[in-house]
Amino acid sequence: MSLLDIADLTLSFKGLSGLTEVLHGISLSIAPGEKVALVGESGSGKSVTARIVLGLLQEQKTARIGGTVRFAGQDLAALSPRDREGLRGTEISMIFQDPTSYLNPVFTIGRQFAEVLRRRDPGLARAACEARAIEMLAETAIPDPARVLGSYPFQLSGGMNQRVMIAMALANHPRLLIADEPGTALDVTVQAQTLKLMRQLVDLHETAVLFISHNLGVVREFADRVYVIYRGRIVEDGPTAAVFGDPRHAYTQALMAAVPRITGDGLPDVPEVSEAFLAPKVHHRLRSGRAT
Amino acid sequence: MKRAIRILSRNPLSALGLGLVVLIVLAALLAPWIAPYPDHNGAVVDFLNNNKPPSARNWMGTDLVGRDIFSRILYAYQTSLVLAVVVLAIATPIGTVVGLIAGYLGGWTETILMRVVDVFLSIPPLVLALAMMGVLKPTLTNAMLAVTAMWWPWYARLVYSIARSEREEGYVLAAEVIGAGTTHIAFREILPNCLPAIITKMTLDMGFVIIIASSLSFLGLGVQPPTPDLGSMVAEGANYLPDSWWLTVFPGLAILIAVFGFNLLGDGLRDVLGVDR
Repeated sequence: MSLLDIADLTLSFKGLSGLTEVLHGISLSIAPGEKVALVGESGSGKSVTARIVLGLLQEQKTARIGGTVRFAGQDLAALSPRDREGLRGTEISMIFQDPTSYLNPVFTIGRQFAEVLRRRDPGLARAACEARAIEMLAETAIPDPARVLGSYPFQLSGGMNQRVMIAMALANHPRLLIADEPGTALDVTVQAQTLKLMRQLVDLHETAVLFISHNLGVVREFADRVYVIYRGRIVEDGPTAAVFGDPRHAYTQALMAAVPRITGDGLPDVPEVSEAFLAPKVHHRLRSGRAT
Repeated sequence: MKRAIRILSRNPLSALGLGLVVLIVLAALLAPWIAPYPDHNGAVVDFLNNNKPPSARNWMGTDLVGRDIFSRILYAYQTSLVLAVVVLAIATPIGTVVGLIAGYLGGWTETILMRVVDVFLSIPPLVLALAMMGVLKPTLTNAMLAVTAMWWPWYARLVYSIARSEREEGYVLAAEVIGAGTTHIAFREILPNCLPAIITKMTLDMGFVIIIASSLSFLGLGVQPPTPDLGSMVAEGANYLPDSWWLTVFPGLAILIAVFGFNLLGDGLRDVLGVDR
């Protein structure tokens, strides 16, 4: 059974000029411990999908959501807002783009860490929180965890904050980790280090990951399976090797062609919109890797 | 804390402000012991020495019924400080809660709360206080009430604007993602980020509240005689200018020094609390 099962999810926002459709029926599933990437350009609907899985958009009055999202067999729409809130931070957690701005500037790392730990275990004593935090930070290869716990986010480097955020996100042993373009705000080398670290940790804890990104290189290294999303539709999906080795959909091909090469052939020419981008979805089967 | 003192002392003007504020607070606290004529804070009459210019016996002269003006200024500081502290202690939490809720929740709550705030802000503050004092009896308690009623909307406005921008910060989303509730996010995540601005405004406002309270008593609507008050002392002496200048000038200077001190200190605090952000 899959951990996360999204079936025919639609989303539209009610505005002054009527409904704006954002998602046109996307389907996606993640097995326990599986690393799945959702790739697409900005505005394609990646981040709103994450927010629906977290149950944050359901609370917004202007959002109209259709289809079903099942987490561990439970239909999120059938849960009460309180139960949905209960999943966040315990069963599902999230890592963000810019680690520094996602930590509250007025509290020390230690205090924020304790808050995260008390999400699952409200009565946890301060010393226990600290011990657990140090253990988690040590796992992320932070050299001096005790010092980091006493620091404020602005006293640490971006890479350090990213590690802190990874440690916090995994502290409660969630079953699903949503990574929304993690480390995009960091420089390339630091990004590579933290991603490698994140992969080791999710493998260790057998956490499933929904990896949201527009960075194809990172996705190729990180994910087991890939979904390519374009304008609120999944256009191609399959095992990472199959999709990268043999992109069939016109949009996927354009996306791959758009990656600037380090060899310096100049910026690639990508059409803004093409009829072919709206072609039906291409599905690569798991074993054969052949497109259907 | 050490760093705060260092920054304050590096800026001579804020150090001066801090010095003045400490001096005023000490003067008010120690008034019964340091005042040359401690009994002159009440309805004492000494017609042998009335309306005397400053001398070695009365450093700032005596008023129309012969009371020592220096002693009365020390006691008047007590009244002013108590009033300012009480007003801010009530107005700040009210304004903060209103602003925080409006800023974080948005929607209808924001519209209703902030329109109420706008209504209060649209009436000139002194006029509102005058109207209230006209209806109520002019006592110290009612003066506090009137000044509080005109003061809280400014805090609501300040906190609202900060909360509005903090709401969009990443850490708020991060808190929502780990399942934190509305109250927790508003009071435990956003409020601490508003505190530097609130504390700075409170310090600056100490001076302004003193001015407003003095204005009320200058008009006879604030603290009533024989309780010494800087505003009513200025008012009493105003009829005898310029001949008996000491009746007005010294209480006036006392107001000036208080406002000046709190303003300089507030500016200094803004620098100290602002650098961390």
